[in-house]
Amino acid sequence: MDSETTLQIKGVSKTFPGVKALDKVNLEIRKGEVHALVGENGAGKSTLMNILSGNYKLDEGEIFLNGQEVHIENHKHAQSLGISIVYQDRSLVDNLSIAENIFAGRQPLNRLGLIDTKKLNAMTNQFLKELNLHNSNSKTLVGELSPAMQQMVEIAKALSQNPHILILDEPTATITEAEVNVLFNIVRQLTEKGGSVIYISHRLSEIFEIADRVSVLKDGEYQGTKEVKETNVDEIIQMMVGRKLDKQKFKTFAREDVALEVKNLSGRRFRNMSFQLRRGEIVSLVGLAGAGRTETAMAIFGADPNASGEVYVFGIKVDIKNPTDAIGHGIGYLPEDRKQQGLFLEMSIEANIISGNLKNAVKNNFNFINEKKITDAANLYKDRLRIATPSVKRNVINLSGGNQQKVIVAKWLMVHPKILVVDEPTRGIDVGSKEEIYAILKNLASEGTAILMISSELPEALALSDRIIVMWNGKMTGELSCSDLEQVTEEMIMKFASGLNN
Amino acid sequence: MNNSLEIAQNKTFIQEESFIQKILKNRVLTLGLIIVLVSIFSSISWPTIFPVYGNISVLLLGISTDAILAVGMMILLISGWFDLSVGSVVGATGAIAANLMVLGHVNFLIAIAVGLTAAIFMGLINGFLIARVGINPMIQGLAMMGIGRGMALMFVNTGLVTFPDAFTAIGQSVFLGLKTPVWYMIITIALFSILVQKTVFFRRYYYIGGNEIAAALSGIDVKRMKLLGFVLSATLAGIAGIIMTSRMGAANNTAGMGSELRVITACILGGASMKGGKGTVIGALLGTIFMGLIGNVMIIARVGVYWQQIVLGIILILAVSLDSLVKNKNA
Repeated sequence: MDSETTLQIKGVSKTFPGVKALDKVNLEIRKGEVHALVGENGAGKSTLMNILSGNYKLDEGEIFLNGQEVHIENHKHAQSLGISIVYQDRSLVDNLSIAENIFAGRQPLNRLGLIDTKKLNAMTNQFLKELNLHNSNSKTLVGELSPAMQQMVEIAKALSQNPHILILDEPTATITEAEVNVLFNIVRQLTEKGGSVIYISHRLSEIFEIADRVSVLKDGEYQGTKEVKETNVDEIIQMMVGRKLDKQKFKTFAREDVALEVKNLSGRRFRNMSFQLRRGEIVSLVGLAGAGRTETAMAIFGADPNASGEVYVFGIKVDIKNPTDAIGHGIGYLPEDRKQQGLFLEMSIEANIISGNLKNAVKNNFNFINEKKITDAANLYKDRLRIATPSVKRNVINLSGGNQQKVIVAKWLMVHPKILVVDEPTRGIDVGSKEEIYAILKNLASEGTAILMISSELPEALALSDRIIVMWNGKMTGELSCSDLEQVTEEMIMKFASGLNN
Repeated sequence: MNNSLEIAQNKTFIQEESFIQKILKNRVLTLGLIIVLVSIFSSISWPTIFPVYGNISVLLLGISTDAILAVGMMILLISGWFDLSVGSVVGATGAIAANLMVLGHVNFLIAIAVGLTAAIFMGLINGFLIARVGINPMIQGLAMMGIGRGMALMFVNTGLVTFPDAFTAIGQSVFLGLKTPVWYMIITIALFSILVQKTVFFRRYYYIGGNEIAAALSGIDVKRMKLLGFVLSATLAGIAGIIMTSRMGAANNTAGMGSELRVITACILGGASMKGGKGTVIGALLGTIFMGLIGNVMIIARVGVYWQQIVLGIILILAVSLDSLVKNKNA
């Protein structure tokens, strides 16, 4: 029997305010295997891994490690149990050396209780050699390394704790082909010694190269586990998708004239984006996390100073240097992160609603603010969008997520943009508010507004869009037209979004 | 139906604020009330010393330049920034004007113009380096603090006196029973109170202080506003420097020294927050008055000079703690 179970997850659930992130999930990890975990954005992969590494506490369910039930208290406890995690977001300190980073908090000490630098560097170099990372010196500052090499240091840091179970969360997102091979070698070394690897990746092709088994999560629910040898990409995608959202009586409002045209737009995380957006048309930019969708939108909105390429608004080439220019050209942007980028949380609802349009709330030549005009306008939008609040003088922080999102929508409606970019417009809000936001977007399109939507929810993108542009790894990999009810399916999109149809 | 359900859900976490909480949260009200109470108390305790024309006049004259500085500082604090160099700009401006008048025998108006130009220029450098180059405001403030003080030393050495009468008249005349610097304070406060409260331009600073990223994505040119904020702060410091030099009838190299921290303290007492998004010009004035009042009362009560600093420190801690207490209760 080489299929000894090392980690068993039974009926684990986790609820966040408004969402059930995990619903009675089961998972079994065998000793010495590479176990891939896949699912769309928001399927619950990261939540599950955060429970295993002690960052979140589970609401219900049990976790068994080598047959014994464990209650993982915190990150340190997880480490002492032999579970190490490498996060998507780097946890390294740029101004410290590779050695200091790998052995952070565990540096060898000399007799005086000071850090034994010599020993530390020797240990690190020995360790790097074992990992076949010869061409790196333990004394190099992490900030001077390439992103790929930093990722390797991150993995080395996790491995230095001699884990039985190593969790890799999107390890190849920032690294190149050659380094993927180094990474895979490290993974194989670990499993040969009896360790197990939980491998989360959006790149399905990698999974077929490195993993022994693959488990699928969807909407926080466990969909099943397959032996990689006995399955194929289509079957996995089939398991990942399939949420139903009525595509009832699709109606297009697209006109002939092109509102926005982007030619060869490139930035740090995306390149050569070229597409058109017509008046009244809704186009969705879809792709998995990190595909470069938000970056593309930010570049169009002038919020990325390093972007290059050409942008045409109603056929005229424009030079958008900052968001002020973009708004001046009739472009609006509803940002992805409501609280960080969209709202003035400690300010009133009316102050938020008017924030994109202060100049239109004046009463004389001195640009004095007309408070009554602001309140009236805010009340109008409060009624139109059914923002649930007793008064628009209330602070936004007191509203629910759905109502907060409506406040931001109201703000952009007030600006009357000809082109509106909406980035994850329904993220983290309740079903009722979602439907209302869909209706608002459709209504805007019917009035001729061109809408570029970024959505991680494929059913949403399918239901609303005239066209869908798929991105993978910073590039456009596909464009699908949904208006004439051609059979565009989630499966087709997922293939493009996983870079498989290249 | 859906909507009414949502409202019902919302009610659970929109706590109604009690009357007392509302008052405690309004710093202008609480501070105004405390000032009135301290004044009444002092008037009863020292009826022949405190509530007399001479004393009140000295008190107001003493805070006049700080109050002008506080206006600029308050606007920066509203946006989440601060300017440590204002005290040195006060010193440098007065020193340049004095040097031109006394040693250069230049017309006093030209001397004032050159002094103010220097102040504006210092503000431009601060603003440019902080907004466009991205230098930390704290570090830039410290650097310009040193540069300004060095300039003050350079231009006045140990001190310059005997200015033209026309120049000293600016800060030493009396109008309707009040010394002119008090009038300058009143005008500055009144003007900026209206501008900050009513105009689109200054309203933007509240948005920037509330959420800088969201402000930029709302089409507010944050960098430009930042630059202008520091220019305004330095300009007001320059005006304060001229007034102070004229009032004293002398320029010395320590003019304005330490006022930056005093003024920041006054603004925080007056309702500003280091995080930004909060504060009013009236609050800045009340904070400054309060600090002047405490100093005044302690002198009258013959409390040692050293104690003044200690008491102010304690009051600052109390005020800020009260703030977070009231806030936590609401959360």
